[in-house]
Amino acid sequence: MAELILKDVCKIYYKNKKPVEAVKSLNLKCRDGEFVALLGPSGCGKSTTLRMIAGLEDITSGDIYIGDRRINDLHPKDRNIGLAFENYALYPPLTVYDNIGFNLRAKKIPEKQIKEEIHKIAELLDITDLLDMKPAALSGGQKQRVNIARALIRRPEVLLLDEPLSHLDGKVRQKMRTEIKHLHTEINCTTIIVTHDQLEAMALADRIAIINQGVLQQFGTPLEVFNNPVNEFVAGFIGEPPMNIFNVVAIMENGILHFKTENSLIKFVVPEKYIRFVKEGEKYRFGIRPTDITVCREDDSYTVKTKVSVFENLGEECRIHIRLDNDNILSVVSSEIFHFKYGDEIKLKFNPERIHIFDCKTGQRIEKALQMT
Amino acid sequence: MKSNKVVSLLKDLGLLLYAMFALFPLVWLVIISFKHDREMFNTTFIFSPTLDNYRVLFSSGEFIGYFVDNLIVSVGAIILSIVVGVPAAYALARFDFKGKESIAFTFLSFRFAPEILVVLPIFLIYQKIGLYDTYFGLIWIFQVVSLPLMIWILRGYFEDISVEMEHAARLDGYSWWQVFIKMIIPLIKPGLVASSLLSFIFVWNNFTFSLLLAGQKVTTTTVAMLKYVSSDTVHYGQMAAAVLISSLPIIILALAIQKHLVRGLSMGAVKG
Repeated sequence: MAELILKDVCKIYYKNKKPVEAVKSLNLKCRDGEFVALLGPSGCGKSTTLRMIAGLEDITSGDIYIGDRRINDLHPKDRNIGLAFENYALYPPLTVYDNIGFNLRAKKIPEKQIKEEIHKIAELLDITDLLDMKPAALSGGQKQRVNIARALIRRPEVLLLDEPLSHLDGKVRQKMRTEIKHLHTEINCTTIIVTHDQLEAMALADRIAIINQGVLQQFGTPLEVFNNPVNEFVAGFIGEPPMNIFNVVAIMENGILHFKTENSLIKFVVPEKYIRFVKEGEKYRFGIRPTDITVCREDDSYTVKTKVSVFENLGEECRIHIRLDNDNILSVVSSEIFHFKYGDEIKLKFNPERIHIFDCKTGQRIEKALQMT
Repeated sequence: MKSNKVVSLLKDLGLLLYAMFALFPLVWLVIISFKHDREMFNTTFIFSPTLDNYRVLFSSGEFIGYFVDNLIVSVGAIILSIVVGVPAAYALARFDFKGKESIAFTFLSFRFAPEILVVLPIFLIYQKIGLYDTYFGLIWIFQVVSLPLMIWILRGYFEDISVEMEHAARLDGYSWWQVFIKMIIPLIKPGLVASSLLSFIFVWNNFTFSLLLAGQKVTTTTVAMLKYVSSDTVHYGQMAAAVLISSLPIIILALAIQKHLVRGLSMGAVKG
């Protein structure tokens, strides 16, 4: 067990002789025993990063350390990592037992010890009954367990999981997610998971590294990235349904600074804490999570009065969608169940503590954008 | 119930008719091979069987020589195509390089032109470089027949094997060679068996190349058939016996690996 450090790691591919920067100067420090998620849309460089840590991909520049060992030039088998592949990559001609033991056999460990280790791991992952079967006879969830068992039997210092749940469906996926979390608390091994599913990352990880187009956007605990997204990308990527983000202009009305949408549908007094960052006449991106909007009763003061476009009742919560203008839809999630139908009039109130304002050009959170200039 | 029985009976009858149609040449061959030259044209099914044809075939020992020659060049060509074709198919399936598809297509194009079209220039070249009428010369030209088949069948098999499996094995500490022998070869085995057998059949029965690029020192059975045509008569009986004997290896091989053959040609290696 050890910490994992990525220092200025870059990866440049050549596609048709043109350089493509897959990973740009990535710095990441995972603490010993920490569960870290690399989260991002497909093609953002997260899998490449994982493969560089595993040694399946060359590092163009920068260094990777496990503990104090620099592993850049080590052969994959000497890095002391375990990797669970996305599509399981089990060896079809071998039984589950031999699949798991494959690595130990390569190390020429005595057969008796191999047997002990395999049974220990198999018990941990609840696959003891499957040991004599061939991979073709297993279900997706079982294959993934074997895959993880094979990664764990090496007693890795760092466990790497490459989209471990993406090929599983519905219930199995939920179950496996809980099991992975449980497994992590049990073995307490530094673990990196690559995923494009923000829910997975939020549920599993101690800290999440959000990557877009090869650049690390934010690295923080699930709560940090949820409550204080540093830029519009993170804000939009984390949370389901996604944060409502739309254009506003800051205007002065009766001596009070307001955010206003172009069609004046929404007018919102700029909260105290933002006043010193907001300039009159400037355009901003205004973000608010669907859960931070409440449906008002009768004569409460409200932020927006409009008509319902779509109403979804999901039983435990209901979702209301409102058309702001041609491009934007405002979503509201309420745990209180209402009964609306298309065209009903509705009054909504935004929670002023929970709004996010981003710079129109850079997409940075305005507090941050100003600090940087 | 009743109509079902009738249908299945009709089906059997149809199959029987087809089997008779398909196997008749073979039956005809067997009959002729036991006939004396005298009776060749004046009887059909009723004759006094004789082993003379076979006796003549084996007494001189010549035919055994042709048979061995055919075996040497065919097996040689198949081994050469396996040695060249397996890595070539692997490269075409795994690596991205310039002109990959063009190269793959070039291999396939070897099979486009009829043999008779290319045999003349090859004949001239072979005479110049001394490959004419040698084992190696025939092996070399036969692998042109078998290699494309091998490459194109095996390429599909390699593409079906996930690259991640190879990566996993590398992480497990095995060298590429060990992975290749332990993992990949077992997975492509059905394809390898099927393509080898098919190529073997093509090569074994090849006539054009054997006739025009060899014939004195190295003589295959197909060419040897011509020797039973003499100036005054055609020894149909001996020819039939020779044909039967030379088709035996193929029949035996095909029966022995029938299971692999069907599986190998009808499905990919690692699905699911």
